[in-house]
Amino acid sequence: MDFLHNITNIMLPEMTIVAFILLQIILSMFLDMKFYKLAKWLTVLGIFLATSLCTKVQIEPIYYGFKNAIISDNYTIFFKGLILISSFLIVFLTKKTISSRRNSAFQFNALILTVILGALTLVSANDFLTMFISMETLGFAMFFLIAFDKGFKSKEAAFKYLIISAVASSIFLFGVSYLYGITGHLNFSLIYEYFLEKNPTLLYSMAAIFITCGLTFKLGVIPFANWILDIYEDASTSVVTLLSIVPKVAMFGILARLLVFPLSYSFELTFVLVLIAVVTAIWANVLAIRQKNIKRLLACSSSANAAYVLFTVSLVSVFNLSTVLFYLVAYIFMNIGVFAAVIILESSEFSNKLYEFKNFAYTNPVFTLCFATCILGLAGFPITAGFISKIYLFSAIARSGLVFLPFLVVLMITIVVSVYYYLRVVKFMFEKSDTVESEVIAYKTSSAIVILYCCAAITVVLGIFPSKIIELCQFMAYNI
Amino acid sequence: MDVINYLSIIVLIFSPMVAAALLFSSFFKHNEVRIRRFSKGFASLHFLYTILFLVFFNPLKDGISYYKEITFFGSDWIQPLGLKMAFGLDGLSLLMVILTSFVFLLALIASKSNIRAKHKFYYSMIFLLQTAVLGVFCARDMFLFFMFWELELVPMYFLIGQWGDKKAKASAMKFVLYTFLGSLFMLLGILLLHFYSFATYGNLTGDFSQIAISTPEFPMFMQIVISILLLVGFAVKMPIVPLHTWLPDAHVDAPTPVSMILAAILLKMGAFGIIRFNMQLLPEAFKLIAPVLIIFALVNIIYTALVAYAQSDLKKIVAYSSISNMGIVLLGLCTLNLIGFSGAVFQMIAHGIISAGLFMLVGIIYIRTKTREIIELGGLGAVMPRLMGFGLILSLAAIGLPLLIGFVGEFLVFLGAFNSNLENFAPIKIYSVIAIFILVLSAAYMLRLLHKTFWANIFERWQGIKDITNHEFVVLFSLILVVGFFGVFPMAIIEIVQPVLTNILQFLQI
Repeated sequence: MDFLHNITNIMLPEMTIVAFILLQIILSMFLDMKFYKLAKWLTVLGIFLATSLCTKVQIEPIYYGFKNAIISDNYTIFFKGLILISSFLIVFLTKKTISSRRNSAFQFNALILTVILGALTLVSANDFLTMFISMETLGFAMFFLIAFDKGFKSKEAAFKYLIISAVASSIFLFGVSYLYGITGHLNFSLIYEYFLEKNPTLLYSMAAIFITCGLTFKLGVIPFANWILDIYEDASTSVVTLLSIVPKVAMFGILARLLVFPLSYSFELTFVLVLIAVVTAIWANVLAIRQKNIKRLLACSSSANAAYVLFTVSLVSVFNLSTVLFYLVAYIFMNIGVFAAVIILESSEFSNKLYEFKNFAYTNPVFTLCFATCILGLAGFPITAGFISKIYLFSAIARSGLVFLPFLVVLMITIVVSVYYYLRVVKFMFEKSDTVESEVIAYKTSSAIVILYCCAAITVVLGIFPSKIIELCQFMAYNI
Repeated sequence: MDVINYLSIIVLIFSPMVAAALLFSSFFKHNEVRIRRFSKGFASLHFLYTILFLVFFNPLKDGISYYKEITFFGSDWIQPLGLKMAFGLDGLSLLMVILTSFVFLLALIASKSNIRAKHKFYYSMIFLLQTAVLGVFCARDMFLFFMFWELELVPMYFLIGQWGDKKAKASAMKFVLYTFLGSLFMLLGILLLHFYSFATYGNLTGDFSQIAISTPEFPMFMQIVISILLLVGFAVKMPIVPLHTWLPDAHVDAPTPVSMILAAILLKMGAFGIIRFNMQLLPEAFKLIAPVLIIFALVNIIYTALVAYAQSDLKKIVAYSSISNMGIVLLGLCTLNLIGFSGAVFQMIAHGIISAGLFMLVGIIYIRTKTREIIELGGLGAVMPRLMGFGLILSLAAIGLPLLIGFVGEFLVFLGAFNSNLENFAPIKIYSVIAIFILVLSAAYMLRLLHKTFWANIFERWQGIKDITNHEFVVLFSLILVVGFFGVFPMAIIEIVQPVLTNILQFLQI
């Protein structure tokens, strides 16, 4: 009975997703190929139901379910909401991907739901076992999604993803095994309490560093970052959108919890993470300068953004956490907007090369305006959410101590580099050229267009009026 | 006195942005004439509106006039950080606002002959730029200041890159990256100010006047660090010499109206920022930095004057002379006395007017001859007598002839530098004496410009070119009016800023 009680109290969103996964798989066996559109709408319905059931989840007081393996509080529900909303938007972008393999539409959507399920349980994990299982659920579903596209390139990308994922997982498990050896616990709260009485040793710091290094794979930061370019280029764009947002958000959610509770005693870990973040920011931003493919460029950009967030997450404090939450909110919308634009371009038979963007400003002014808004938002120009979120993020670093100021200066210089490559995208769109045919973008993907417009609008609104969202983020951060 | 109730600073700042949105929307068809007429009409109305602000402005009143906050559904801009969207005018900002509105109007009139394509986009970008600049001058919150400071980059990028010459795109990128780098240092300074004022007084705020109260409590080391970080940002914009290399490129490649705006207003933003932040918020640190800054100022004046003399491109001469003039402004700010400050502010206005005129002049020549090389020109005075007249007055004003606007600023600055009571810093007197002699150089490059373009023998191929059109006449004539008027009545400007400057001096004497 306890099990059922737990499920009805906190697991309803996850269970809804599970039900829809099963439904999709069952339907894929019976339904004909021509019903492929049903799959998408079922996914949408499932996510919508899960989102609305989030309000039924018990969060006050903090709920520990399944023998403390799952935790439910304000913080987890915030991340769950974030994941569900972003995946809700992303599902509408999958049209192009499915159109090439309509017979597998149901499987595809089941896999997307599995990714969401993994992300949802990941943020609410309260011990390393749950966390590992959710991570692998997410990772394997992602693997199949990457391989979904036709052709050998996507298979190659998927294989790269799988191998690096396996290495990262094993490093993560290695760290966990040491931590288990020291404390005898896998539960976050128990490990936290264990070290209240005993002094942490160097071995503990080593374990903590191994654990976080294992997690860097999903964040796409150094040392496990080099997969990101190839996979972003070769996988289908809607999958990449999912890949760049859902695992990352979930991973930052759990990373913040790890750093607040079980790994909070390691002083060395902070510096390792800060170093990782700065090195990644340099690496990603410098690498992006020469990229000619928008998807490779966005891969670098997402890696760089992860680095900024990682920097702030590693300097654990409540204020810093609130800035991270706001940054994630802003980043999600800008990123989905940019990817939606890329998908629109792809479905109108443009390749992903930057020089093909010429003449856009004159043939498609509104599209260009929205695309440019999202890109400039990522670069951090004002009256977009990117500006406010960057200021807010840096204000957190600036008040974390003078020790980190030199790192912050390096980070800011890399941001100037990033402005260069973001502006290059905009520059190409405003360039007039007679050699490139000025095609009007065929509005085949109306849903992607709507998503793009919405994301651009949200980016601007958040940039002008961020007060309420920041308050929400602060409230959530205080309740971790 | 009822009119004052209708003077809303919000309308002042954001109406250009509304106009920009209107121009960009599909409400306006691609009809060049209608777009241009609307823009000019709107800019003239805006100028009249700012004049009303001047009429009802009381310079003797202490503090901020026309103060206004924007709230969103009952909460401030970024309430969790204590940031407000607050605007207000003091004497200095009012002057800059009027200069901005005036120069934008002239630039829009000058756009007719210079802008040949993409009118909708161009005019909306100009108006967006105007909002950004006005926001910088009127912001009463550090972060708001920074937001508008950054916002200005977006329209500038397009304005330089899209309508400029061959290398314009690279120049625009260089301009944006340079300024962005500088402003990130500035952001760091602002963040530290914000945090330390929170640490000293416990309330989160970005308001200038509240920050100014808490800054004397900061550790001295921190004050100096913040001051230097902020200075880097302003030095890029102003520009101060080692960070000036973006300016010649941006100026040369930008279209004429944009050059006018860039030289007349955007450079002043740097000096304005130094007054707002370094002098009003961190006076103690500025006192220590000023002797070092003076050296930079002199290098600015002397080095760029020499470089200007060596240029063969007309626009480059004017661009380098701009940097040289901004050195004079910086020198005035570093003298730390009222005469020097007044001189610096006056020079800001004077240079704004003169450089706008000179860039207009160069632009007019370029349109007709398609060249800016000084060697290829010559004898244009024979075919363009009216332009030569205007050019003569403007160049003489730039040199600093008495009774013209350029004289007062330079004179006051050097007087201030000579009377400066910077403690234990005798070299400033020597420096200023050197600088005065070096000012001969400004006469040299200006007269060279004038001589090589308008006098000497005319080339055969320039025989047919026409004198200035009515549009160009209006622009140049209104500039000349200002040049003459404030050359004769300099107190009209100085009286408005006097309270602000004496206030700063009071802070400095603590």
